[in-house]
Amino acid sequence: MNTRPIPVPPQGSRLHWHLDQPFRLKHLVIAVLILALLLITGHRTEMDRMVTMTTQAVGNLVGLNDESQVVRGLSKVADSMWPPQMATSEQVARINDFNANDIPLFARVENRETTTQRLNEDTLQLESTTETTEVLYDPLGYVKTVFGKMIETLEIALWGTLLAVSLSIPLAWFAASNYSPNRVTYTLARGFISLLRSVPELIVALFLVLAYGFGPIAGVLALGMHAAGFLGKFYAEDIENADKQPQEALEAIGAGKIKTVLYAVMPQVLPQYVAYTAYILDRNLRMATVIGLVGAGGIGQELKGRFDMYDYGHVMTILIAIFLFVFLLDQLSARIRSRMI
Amino acid sequence: MSQTPTSMVKLSAIDKTWADGTRALNSVDLEVPEGQFCVILGPSGAGKSTLLRSVNGLMRPTGGNVRVDGLELSSASERELRRRVAMIHQHFNLATRASVAANVLSGALPEVSMARALCGWFHPEQRKKACHYLERVGLKPEHLHRRAGELSGGQQQRVGIARAFMLDPKVVLADEPVASLDPQISRDILTLLKDAARELNATVICSLHQVDLAREFGDRIVGMRSGEIVFDGAPEEFDDQRLSRLYQNADWGDGQPGQVPEDSLELDSAGGM
Repeated sequence: MNTRPIPVPPQGSRLHWHLDQPFRLKHLVIAVLILALLLITGHRTEMDRMVTMTTQAVGNLVGLNDESQVVRGLSKVADSMWPPQMATSEQVARINDFNANDIPLFARVENRETTTQRLNEDTLQLESTTETTEVLYDPLGYVKTVFGKMIETLEIALWGTLLAVSLSIPLAWFAASNYSPNRVTYTLARGFISLLRSVPELIVALFLVLAYGFGPIAGVLALGMHAAGFLGKFYAEDIENADKQPQEALEAIGAGKIKTVLYAVMPQVLPQYVAYTAYILDRNLRMATVIGLVGAGGIGQELKGRFDMYDYGHVMTILIAIFLFVFLLDQLSARIRSRMI
Repeated sequence: MSQTPTSMVKLSAIDKTWADGTRALNSVDLEVPEGQFCVILGPSGAGKSTLLRSVNGLMRPTGGNVRVDGLELSSASERELRRRVAMIHQHFNLATRASVAANVLSGALPEVSMARALCGWFHPEQRKKACHYLERVGLKPEHLHRRAGELSGGQQQRVGIARAFMLDPKVVLADEPVASLDPQISRDILTLLKDAARELNATVICSLHQVDLAREFGDRIVGMRSGEIVFDGAPEEFDDQRLSRLYQNADWGDGQPGQVPEDSLELDSAGGM
């Protein structure tokens, strides 16, 4: 039996106590350098001019000075954007298969008189002629158009998210250092995820429009690939950081890696996964409105068209629609998430 | 070395040296016959956890070999061997956000096909068995769909025991199963464990640090200190003098060099898996 003598810790010699101030000259020098750097970059990004112009604008608003470029520009845009365009009117003669008994709700057929001045070549006098055209006036026509386009945008966002989720689940497995089969697969997966994430959607969409033509295909692919880069990274990091204890319990009975992840990791990370995915859906909806600018379908195509034609009333309607959709989606995902937790 | 037919677990000359040079196990030999309830006692850092973990290969020994039910532990046999060896953990190691039912059923995962595991579509017999063991450990039907993390510590360990028995284990390793429970619940849990093991004639190797419980439940007590077995005998032989010798110098041993606290051992070996 082991009965070695009990060791005793050595008697402590006089301890030297010393408590420094938190900052030294080194920190001051660093602070000065950072300030200098901020001043230089601030000047290069015209932050000084921004401050001047904003001050002028504020002064103009409270009546201190009477000229401000910012206020002038903004009020010009605001004037032309308000009220938002809601109605459409279309000449009946131009509608194919027009049926007066089957017109949209709230819409009506109106007669419009348009007076044009024309030079009579015989009498050489200006005559005004009045033409009456039949017009289908729909007070909510443009709202309907925008709604349809927004639904298309939402569908693009949804499929982009589905594509991203299905791409990133296998990627996350290989990019989680504790489950990746080896170092090579880990590095490859991490590299691929970074690559996907590093190229902005807009640029991917630009190239995909060349490959697949105008329309939603390019949009879905662009959104899906970029978001897979995000989700793959977050999913993988959650797997790595999950509590090891339940995993060890299943390892100890030889359940195998995939089943261990399913039963010991997934229950822990699922609420986070839902949150990430909801964020990606939200982000994809906003991005789907933007990538339409390069022709990848959705509301963006409409927006760009109207913007280029200076139809700012229409632009306003579109912007309001985008805000409403993003807001509603946000509420919905918050509700789903609170039910998951 | 002749192997007696009743020998269920046989550890021969197990050595373990951690990467930092700490010797956790020093040529440990241990043979546990079928159906025995073997208690391992010893101060923190004595190597109890490490010894238990060497049985199912959660810890790879630096030297020596492990034989369970006639099967020698190697990377090839590891999976087969682990099916026969259940484990009960100090911190219960349940998936706290999953339901009690899912936790117990997960104990049957090695025998479930991947497709079934993906859908959570376990065999009806396995569901029945899960219910049977949950009743056996004293839980009620309304606990089935509760989250495991919502249960009390004692109830969580009951779930852990039900999970451990899902595969009809030959050997049950219990790593300080009652360390975080109060004395009365500890006694209940150990009674459950002992009875359930006796029904299956399963061998139990259980590390404890409560001496009274060790004397009450153990068929045999193995005393460990500094990675060596310093006592091995019946509970009656483990008298007070031996007890005080076993725990000598253990009072402040936790933070001293050369004595690694048990928790850090767990982390080390988990990281090495």
